Amino acid sequence: MQLENKFTIAAPIEDAWKALNDPELIAPCFPGATLTEYEGDSFQGTVKVKLGPISLTYKGKGTYIERDDANHKVVIDASGRDARGNGTAKAVVTGTMVADGPDKTSVTMVTDMTVTGRPAQFGRGVISDVADKIIGQFASCVADKLTGPGGAATSNGSGPKHAADETSPIPAVPPAAGAAAGPESSAAPAAPATSAPKPVTPRQPQSSPIEAIDLLDSAGAPVLKRLAPVLGGLGVLALIFLVVRRARGGAKKRS
Amino acid sequence: MIPAKFDYVRPSSVEEAVSALQQAGEDAKILAGGQSLLPVLRLRLAAPSTVIDLGGIPELKRIGEDEQYVMVGAMATHHEVMRNDLINKHVELIARATETVADPQVRHRGTLGGALAHADPAGDLGAAALALDAEFVILGSGGTRLVPAAEFFQDYFTTAIGEGEILTMVRFPKYTGWKTHYEKFNRVAQAWSMVAVAVALKVEGGTISQARVGLTNMGNVPIRATGVERALVGQAAGPDVAKAAAEHATEGTSAPSDADAASDYREHLAKVLTGRAVLAAAG
Amino acid sequence: MTTTAEPTTAEIGKARVRKEDERLITGRSRYTDSITPPGTVHIAVVRSTLARATINSIDKSEAEKAPGVFGVFTAADLGAEQVGLPCAWPITPDQKAPQRPVLAVGRVNFSGEGVAVVVARSAAAARDAAELVEVDYTPLDPVLDMEAAAQDGAELVHPDLGSNVSATWVFDSGAAGTGGDIGEAIRTAEADSDQVVVRRRFRQQRLIPAFMEPRSCVVDPTGEQLTIWAATQVPHILRTMTTVTLGIPESKLRVIAPDVGGGFGGKIGVLPEEMLCVLLAQKLGKPVKWTETRSECMLTAHHARDQIQDLTITAKRDGTITGLDVHLYADMGAYLGLVGPGVPILGAFMFNAIYKIPALKFTCSNVFTNKTLTDAYRGAGRPEATFGIERIMDELAVELGRDPMELREQNWISHEEFPFTTVVGLTYDTGNYEQATRRAMELFDYAGLRREQEERRKNNDPVQLGIGISTFTEMCGLAPSRVLGSLDYGAGGWEAASIRMLATGKVEVTTGASAHGQGHETAFSQIVADKLGVPFEDVEILHGDTQVAPKGLDTYGSRSLVVGGIAIVNAAEKVIEKARKIAAHLLEASEDDLEFANGQFTVKGTDKGKAIQEIAFAAFMAHDYPEGMEPSLDSDAVFDPENFSFPHGTHLAAIEVDTETGRVNLRNYVCVDDIGNVINPLIVEGQVHGGLAQGIAQALFEEANYDDQGTLVNATFVDYTLPSAADLPSFTTETVSTPSTTNPLGVKGVGEAGTIASTPAIVNGVLDAIRHLGVTEIEMPTTSQRVWRALQVAKGHSVQQTPSTTHSPGAGLGSIDPNNPKGEVQ
Repeated sequence: MQLENKFTIAAPIEDAWKALNDPELIAPCFPGATLTEYEGDSFQGTVKVKLGPISLTYKGKGTYIERDDANHKVVIDASGRDARGNGTAKAVVTGTMVADGPDKTSVTMVTDMTVTGRPAQFGRGVISDVADKIIGQFASCVADKLTGPGGAATSNGSGPKHAADETSPIPAVPPAAGAAAGPESSAAPAAPATSAPKPVTPRQPQSSPIEAIDLLDSAGAPVLKRLAPVLGGLGVLALIFLVVRRARGGAKKRS
Repeated sequence: MIPAKFDYVRPSSVEEAVSALQQAGEDAKILAGGQSLLPVLRLRLAAPSTVIDLGGIPELKRIGEDEQYVMVGAMATHHEVMRNDLINKHVELIARATETVADPQVRHRGTLGGALAHADPAGDLGAAALALDAEFVILGSGGTRLVPAAEFFQDYFTTAIGEGEILTMVRFPKYTGWKTHYEKFNRVAQAWSMVAVAVALKVEGGTISQARVGLTNMGNVPIRATGVERALVGQAAGPDVAKAAAEHATEGTSAPSDADAASDYREHLAKVLTGRAVLAAAG
Repeated sequence: MTTTAEPTTAEIGKARVRKEDERLITGRSRYTDSITPPGTVHIAVVRSTLARATINSIDKSEAEKAPGVFGVFTAADLGAEQVGLPCAWPITPDQKAPQRPVLAVGRVNFSGEGVAVVVARSAAAARDAAELVEVDYTPLDPVLDMEAAAQDGAELVHPDLGSNVSATWVFDSGAAGTGGDIGEAIRTAEADSDQVVVRRRFRQQRLIPAFMEPRSCVVDPTGEQLTIWAATQVPHILRTMTTVTLGIPESKLRVIAPDVGGGFGGKIGVLPEEMLCVLLAQKLGKPVKWTETRSECMLTAHHARDQIQDLTITAKRDGTITGLDVHLYADMGAYLGLVGPGVPILGAFMFNAIYKIPALKFTCSNVFTNKTLTDAYRGAGRPEATFGIERIMDELAVELGRDPMELREQNWISHEEFPFTTVVGLTYDTGNYEQATRRAMELFDYAGLRREQEERRKNNDPVQLGIGISTFTEMCGLAPSRVLGSLDYGAGGWEAASIRMLATGKVEVTTGASAHGQGHETAFSQIVADKLGVPFEDVEILHGDTQVAPKGLDTYGSRSLVVGGIAIVNAAEKVIEKARKIAAHLLEASEDDLEFANGQFTVKGTDKGKAIQEIAFAAFMAHDYPEGMEPSLDSDAVFDPENFSFPHGTHLAAIEVDTETGRVNLRNYVCVDDIGNVINPLIVEGQVHGGLAQGIAQALFEEANYDDQGTLVNATFVDYTLPSAADLPSFTTETVSTPSTTNPLGVKGVGEAGTIASTPAIVNGVLDAIRHLGVTEIEMPTTSQRVWRALQVAKGHSVQQTPSTTHSPGAGLGSIDPNNPKGEVQ
């Protein structure tokens, strides 16, 4: 399956290119990925994908097939294997940046992805959607970082929605049978098993199906300063080149 | 098939459940009826560290009411819901949609809360809950909060339930005397909806005074067909009105494509089924 | 001492409830997975997730360290790299057959193929550890399209074979001298304006047999004989094939098929996992158990059908058929199954069906692809043939503007013409197509439904009505051994039975036809009760254990009654003959003066007599019996049929098509089958109902699809949509009978009839409902989407392409379009 993602950054191409090459800025945008090793044109890492009840961790490796600084284009071939042997994923990602006027840069990523094994048997559609969302989230996050909230870039993964403000206390469970009998019964009493109703606190719900899990764990953080998070296999790789580029050369290994 | 190893906790109160959930951390999973979670565990598409079974909390199975609302505990089974008098009287649409869920075995194990929290866009309860402006009571360490259906469903399999929180109850405003129908279209009887339409109408003197219409599997979340609702209100319920209103069924949708139905077919079905659902409800 | 129970008469024909069911439905069943000899170790197979790849390395180290693991083995570790699973049916002398390994050696050829095996203390530990085996592959592009694969220059599934075409098998009635030359028939028809030529391509989609009990085996090497318990239809064949495959002397093997939960042909194979368990049991000296998961079953148990059928029929404008040309591609999958190559060939003899077709040519190319292998599934070759001929009969009727039933009648063999030797050289012994059809049309109200159809068409009713016809026949009772020999099949077609008369007058019957849900115990008991004149309850049917029933060729191809039942009848005759001698001796009468009826030998014209139970007791005591004979009534028989049997029937389907949604609703289904004499009408009804459900499911519901990576995308019952009772109407089934003359019971077999007959009836009905709207063909399964699209195309509307390899909603996994990427950020 092919996924194409385009987004625009409100910055001149060279600035965007540079900014995108700042892993410190970019890395936290990357959902679920951890880089474990980087050497020459090859890298290894993991990505954890969560969607509803599904949770998969792909371990993988990637190679730069093509890198073109002048034209801001890179092609990465990456493949990974689910840690539980559920299947494999492979992606060939082509990323290009072009100036869109003096102050804007448009980024295009084309991801040709194949997923095998159980995720393909039971949810190929889901996996493609996951990949799509990862890229979308990453792109939107990057765009936000570069231009600030409310900037030119907009996100396709809409931000968390706020729960309605509720001022009256709500019991956690339905009233007990006896209390629920008459239509004249007014407010439902709190069930005995529940604590005294507390005012509802509006809370940020988790909005994203993709949870960034291993992104900046303690061991990874220092490495990520110099390298970049990389995953095996999913379309996310499209963006890796943007962050890994600067770190090319020299083998680094996570402790 | 055998799932990967996990710790199993069976709390006896909602507070215990929340605290168990918070202790267990991000890899914990809540087990309600298990009709979606267990297959995924058995297929090893998920390997949670801890499974917290809500089956030992009797009050989560209660169904009650007050003046305004019917309150359904998250662990009430589909079978209990579709047979419940309060639900049949005041939120009949939920009973009608629930009747179409899977097969009798699933309906005896599966729960209202589990199905809604799972938030499969092909699931049957979301559209009905959305159409009826259900409200979701979510319990976390800081107490309960109330989330309206319009904000509950956020994406594929993604709801407003945060980490460390549990859906404990869904409350439905009462729609006593409304006429309802859930029109489901699927491959085989026990299958998920290809498309389904949930309709509740208030008909006064032959005229539709209020209409609520929800669509199943026409996007990544259940969708409220407000265009259809607007087209129905103030009209006499009849074939022409239903057909004209149904033309609005695809507004605001982004129908998925799969082997059973590509998006154009889903859009077509949404219209046909909406027309039929409206007529069936009104009739 | 001897029983005095009243002998029963006329057990045959009685609608007895099945005597095995009480045990089976009250939890007293004993399936293979419930058998765990002390010290059993469990295995889990590490399977390829790629359809075609080379294996670079297999890293077992983590798995070997996992708790409870005794070992992790590859084919090399087991010294099994040269082991190849058997294919018993080389359809041509030059058939290309790849080695089918127990575990992949160097490369994998389909998604799901075993690569390594983990042995552990528990099934759970084995499964956990299997996840830790890391296989490094180099993926290769899979070969998936059978037609493309058959062409020169195609990428090869097995490069060493030099071609993806395993074999091409041809039957030409002209060359065989059994009929005319098809080339001539086509040339004549094309040149003659008074003749028509109709060409159609039909597709038999890939199906999954979907039996209820997943496959399982337990191998215990600790006894003198190595014992294999297996969820198999074919314990005897499994024993012989284990010898053939692994070289273990047959006398050192005992195979037990305990209760087996269905098969439908799906358990006819010899499995890599079975052979793995044998190898591991020998290596470890411990009992080894394998039980597959449902996912493994969907992925790796053999699939079925999957043919492309190119048919050409020629006829005179008056309706007389002059010839039929059949070209098939049959997808074998990655390897050849036990009888897989022969499955399409079984259809060769059925394309002419009930019709007098003067010239027929059948050409079938068996093709390898990187998919799960295909093999027998209920009907095996005959459903495909029946579909092809019954579909093209409708097409011919349309071409000629004829009523499809009337056209059939014009061409079928009339009842006066039996026995009739067909264009492929088979002799149909009996049949009466007029009788079955007349009754079916009455029950169906054919004329009334045609009127309703006309009305609905006239009124432009959104729901259109179609009438689907299938007047089928099949060849059952596999099979006369000499015919199998002429087809190069690697075994005979006989069946064996033994009857043991116990001292107390009870009867033990062993049969080589091993039941897996058919009701053999009941039907065979009825036969023996009638033949020997003993109570039904006194007969015990024993089967499924090579120590108990040492000789047999097992259960498939509607053969149990027609072949196995006759062996039992013959054994009973021998028992009676032996008993007659002893009875004559005890009654001091001449054998010729004895009559045997209702279990009693009586001296003609007297009231002197002895019950067969008394004779059995006398033989046991052996105090007084004739000189020159052994004191035993026990008898064996082996029956080799002289001919197939040819059940037939008329199946009619009333199909409603909702033209707004494309939904197909099977409103009514009537079938009248002529299966010869009926032993137990209740079992017959059950067989017909189940068979219909499976055949209708092919027409409407089931399909196994692969994506472009060679991944099976309907690998759960959420996506592989089996219908339930809720999706089917209550069938109207009846039987009529022209008893078979080729066997003493006059029976024909019924196990596959419903499946063979029903599929074309449904598709013909769907097309009949909407043909007037311009729809001429819909591929199976005729889902609502396919019907709707066909209607749109007929109306000239453009429609989206249907992705066939994406997912249906659910499995908790949703329904998202991979071909419709979103993600535009701005």
